[in-house]
Amino acid sequence: MHENNGRLGFTGLILPVALFTIWYIATLDGGVPAYLLPSPLALALAVIDFTAGSERLGPYSGTLLVHTIASVQRVFTGFGLAAAIGLPLGFLTGRLALAKSSLDPTVHLIRIVPGIGWLPLAMVWFGVGEKTTVFLISLAAFFPIYVNAAQGAASVSPLLIRAGRMLGANNLTIFTTVIIPAAMPSTVAGLRLGLGLSWAYLVLGELTGVTHGLGAVMMDARMLGNVEMILVAMIFIGLFGRISDLILVGSFRKLNLLKRGYEE
Amino acid sequence: MKRTDLSANNISKCFLQPGEDRLLYVLEDMDFEIKEGEFVTILGPSGCGKSTFLNILAGFETANQGQTFCCGEPIKGPSPERAVVFQSPVLFPWMDVKSNIMYGLKQVGKKKGEAQKITAEYISAVGLEGFENYYPCQLSGGMQQRVALARSLILNPKVLLMDEPFAALDAQTRYSMQQLLLRLWESNRQTIVFITHDVEEALLLSDRICIMSKRPGRIIEEISVPFEWPRPISLTGSGDFSQLKSHILSILLD
Repeated sequence: MHENNGRLGFTGLILPVALFTIWYIATLDGGVPAYLLPSPLALALAVIDFTAGSERLGPYSGTLLVHTIASVQRVFTGFGLAAAIGLPLGFLTGRLALAKSSLDPTVHLIRIVPGIGWLPLAMVWFGVGEKTTVFLISLAAFFPIYVNAAQGAASVSPLLIRAGRMLGANNLTIFTTVIIPAAMPSTVAGLRLGLGLSWAYLVLGELTGVTHGLGAVMMDARMLGNVEMILVAMIFIGLFGRISDLILVGSFRKLNLLKRGYEE
Repeated sequence: MKRTDLSANNISKCFLQPGEDRLLYVLEDMDFEIKEGEFVTILGPSGCGKSTFLNILAGFETANQGQTFCCGEPIKGPSPERAVVFQSPVLFPWMDVKSNIMYGLKQVGKKKGEAQKITAEYISAVGLEGFENYYPCQLSGGMQQRVALARSLILNPKVLLMDEPFAALDAQTRYSMQQLLLRLWESNRQTIVFITHDVEEALLLSDRICIMSKRPGRIIEEISVPFEWPRPISLTGSGDFSQLKSHILSILLD
């Protein structure tokens, strides 16, 4: 993989550079009007203004921190709830036939309805805003976390379990010291999917009307005809999504839980 | 009179054949006994049920018929008093060498300081000083098997059950692992049941060889190995050795 990075780096640059050039030329002399697509320079200024407030461009100057804190809190709560429920249920389903037969069919039945389909009901139940957003995030993130934790726990090598047994582990410690760590590579894949979905459903929830949050910025900016702020919010959501993914993977790697078997 | 450490009386084990309604008998009326401190190899053609038998002694599987005892107590499930070394190392890939070897001590509730001291002793006993913080995937097959040996021996088991532990290693590594095992055995005098299909290995290592029949397996002949300890590699060239080897081979190939 790594030897190819140099060449990939070059060929990988062609498309973005081309797109950027087209974008630059198209917005150069008002070819494409600014209310549809801002120029690269205008966008860059908006990003700087949103972050530092130095340009005093309007209501969003220097408000990045406020909106980020609001959004990150929602993702954190929603994703945390999904993980807190999804991981234990997934591990149990993966190992115990009783848990699998009693839980799995219902979970998969609910999973058929796409997360977006829950929006109207969530608004009826929880009203507009905070609770609805957290509900949608945890609902959407739950399924990949649950399914991958179950899959990981179910496919732990029986030999590893035998090894733990003959070294004195009991029913409980076999779970905590062998099954859960061995299930980690698949479980972390599920957590990453869940975290990605959390950011997607954050935007959906915040579009319904909250005062603070990156999704709220997008919806407000649309009404104000402020396209560059829509794009700025999109950029930061992408950025934070990527950062949170790196933190997630990094912390599991630090615990050495992503080491693969020597047989592979 | 030495204590009998393990015994199996009249063991039968069968599996349902996939896609058929017939039972496949892997073991039939198998009897076996091993005394304290004895090193016994079980030799048999592949598919004769020797691994299944070891799994029953380890408590991983139960016999359909017959009884197994460890020091007079019926065997119910796996236990650290009957430690196992598998054919592949089966280490925990997320733990380094030290934690893999210390795992059993933690499970039986040893205090941390003491556990670390004992672990250091065993790491040096199997010649892995300097590799304490390596992960299994960073070690060669032979070194992984040393870790597996150390983590089983550290619990001071009454019996060590070994299932073709060196079969996957190259000839040189296998020889050095055999020597290591014999050195450890000389100092601890563990009771060892050692499964192999390698006649020379059986002759070099054990006090007694039990030869199993083809499936359904049971012991058809027992041979006391007459050679004195230590047994140098040059022994394999001697007349007595090759005579005994061809005798065993003729039984196996029958």
